[in-house]
Amino acid sequence: MESIASNPPLLQVTDLRVAVGGKEILKGLNLTVRAGEVHAIMGPNGSGKSTLAHVLSGRDGYEVTGGSVTYLGRDLLGLAPEDRARAGVFLGFQYPIEIPGVSNVYLLRSALNARRSARGESEIDAARFLRLVKEKARLMQMDESFLQRGVNEGFSGGEKKRNEIFQMAVLEPVLAILDETDSGLDIDALKVVANGVKSLRSAERAFVLVTHYQRLLDHIRPDFVHVLAGGRIIRTGDRTLALELEAGGYEQVLAAANP
Amino acid sequence: MTEPTAQQAVHGRAAGQSRDTPQKPWRAAASLAPAGTDVAGWPSERRVAALARLDESGLPDGADEDWRYTSLAGYGQRWSAYLAAAGLAARPAGIDTRADGSAFSTAGAGHPGTSGSPGTVHAQIVDGILQAPPGAMPRGLYIGSLRQLTPELRARAADLLRKSGDVAPETLVDLNSALLADVILVTTETGASLEAMPLHILIQGSGAPAFSQPRILVDVAQDSRFTLILEHGGAAGTLCNAVTQAWVGSGAHLNLVRVQLLPDDGMLTETSRIELAAAASTHITSMDLGAQLSRHALTVLLAGAGASASVDGLFLADGNRHVDNHTRLEHLAPGTTSRESFRGLADGHGRGVFNGKIIVREGAAGSNAALTNRNLLLAATAEIDTKPELEIYVDDVRCSHGATTGQLDANALFYLRSRGLDPAAARQVLTAAFLREPLGGIAQPELRARLEARLEEKLGGNAAIAGPGAGS
Repeated sequence: MESIASNPPLLQVTDLRVAVGGKEILKGLNLTVRAGEVHAIMGPNGSGKSTLAHVLSGRDGYEVTGGSVTYLGRDLLGLAPEDRARAGVFLGFQYPIEIPGVSNVYLLRSALNARRSARGESEIDAARFLRLVKEKARLMQMDESFLQRGVNEGFSGGEKKRNEIFQMAVLEPVLAILDETDSGLDIDALKVVANGVKSLRSAERAFVLVTHYQRLLDHIRPDFVHVLAGGRIIRTGDRTLALELEAGGYEQVLAAANP
Repeated sequence: MTEPTAQQAVHGRAAGQSRDTPQKPWRAAASLAPAGTDVAGWPSERRVAALARLDESGLPDGADEDWRYTSLAGYGQRWSAYLAAAGLAARPAGIDTRADGSAFSTAGAGHPGTSGSPGTVHAQIVDGILQAPPGAMPRGLYIGSLRQLTPELRARAADLLRKSGDVAPETLVDLNSALLADVILVTTETGASLEAMPLHILIQGSGAPAFSQPRILVDVAQDSRFTLILEHGGAAGTLCNAVTQAWVGSGAHLNLVRVQLLPDDGMLTETSRIELAAAASTHITSMDLGAQLSRHALTVLLAGAGASASVDGLFLADGNRHVDNHTRLEHLAPGTTSRESFRGLADGHGRGVFNGKIIVREGAAGSNAALTNRNLLLAATAEIDTKPELEIYVDDVRCSHGATTGQLDANALFYLRSRGLDPAAARQVLTAAFLREPLGGIAQPELRARLEARLEEKLGGNAAIAGPGAGS
């Protein structure tokens, strides 16, 4: 494990309880993420993985009934979604939204400038922005014509996911939460996405990868693997836990946790 | 329609003239028409017959299902006031003094001028009368007035007049036929390819107290391709009842761009009728971005086998605007195709009305029709009434229609916010995107820029540059 336990946590989730439509989905979830770390959150369908990602990004419709989430010492749950983004939290959507009529490049520049302005920086100049965007597009093996197209408009499932990672690469978040970014990807697209993530790994940045399958973790080696089931993290280990899940399935791990 | 002010004014001035009843302002208007606006070549029996039908029908009111949501009360009042003013004042200044268009102001986004876009032919209709026609015309395109027929148009004028008279009567067309001061003829030559050289006609009210009645007859000859831009503008107080009738010959194509950019107090009723012969096609873009009251009745007749029509519309019913679009796509011949997409936005105290009717007649087997209407309602005080209608009289056709009215997509809003845009900016960007799409059919950069400027003004900030192709 490369991480340094003495780093102050970027993200501290303590006994988080969340209900949707009156039904409790997360039932006391604890998670500590430090700078430089990559965490994988795995679990069977319906275990609360996406709920966790949505709550962290500030989506409507989730009622926090208990616990707390602290991000860089601030109460994350008290921040509006845009303020979380400006503070460096990025959510990679499981189902990225198509927005015809709004170009990718426009969205990126607006997003980048929102983040810069929150840091007290001036708007990025046009030439620098273009250079940055082109460089990241190359990294994600995206044709530059994508930039002028509507956000995710007419993109295939794989292109949409790639576009999410591309946005992340441009925005350079402090904490990236990727919600099932690997689902629906073929092997080649998976590699591109994984390379995008790997290129952004740094001592200042942390990732939370929410995933159902182990295969993404072949490419991005996580520092921690957590098994989420029944609204709680029931087991935490290193990446060998992912291999164990792959070999034996969730049932075996769940049975071992609840003898 | 009863207009006491008109009655008083007309009677006050017109002692000794024929006595018009207040219910018939068209009679008063016809009797007040300055001699100079008599139209040589416009058959007087048409004028007389139209007046007689108007006596019978009166102007449309709420008793007519097609006018359930749109009242002409304020329009009638303005007309009455203008009749009074015209009755009291000396005859309005002659048209020729304004032939260059310099003596009146234009509203809103500014005068496009005659140097607007290279390759575009500009013409102006002021208070219903064609100004000096453009000097240089591309080969194969003619525009002229029935008052001063050019040799090229003389031969086709009779045919166009006959066709325009064969059309079933409609009240607002009758009003135009009864009171028009000019008939503008536009024709193309067989096989002419004119799409890259559009004719841009600016239809304006001068600010004089005039109820203008522009009448445009368009003949797109067989196998020719033609782009016609009709732009409504004018000074404050503009009041206009326009009629455009177009015949698109077999294998020909008409790209019609209709833009309504009237000042905030402008009032317009407009009737457009486009008839397509066999294998003819049309693409119509209709934009209502101004006016206090705007009512456009668009009819497309797919009269020849294999004809096709495509309609993209956008209306902005913000502020206190009332914008009404009634479209009617009528399939008469086999294998005809129509596609229509209309978008509307209502905000403030605006009201939008959309009625889209598709009719597939018995002879139109194997036809295809699709109509959608999407509306954005941005304020609880705004209103949109939409009604798509299908009338099908034959089997073996494929028709679809649908209408939605709602707010901005919550998922898209969240997506933008999750990228750091504040809610106001996110809403603005999505609204701009919604409005921009129908602009895609407008290839003229100068016109497009003015339309985008108008949308930007509506949206505030730089949201209008959000679209694909912009902003790098």
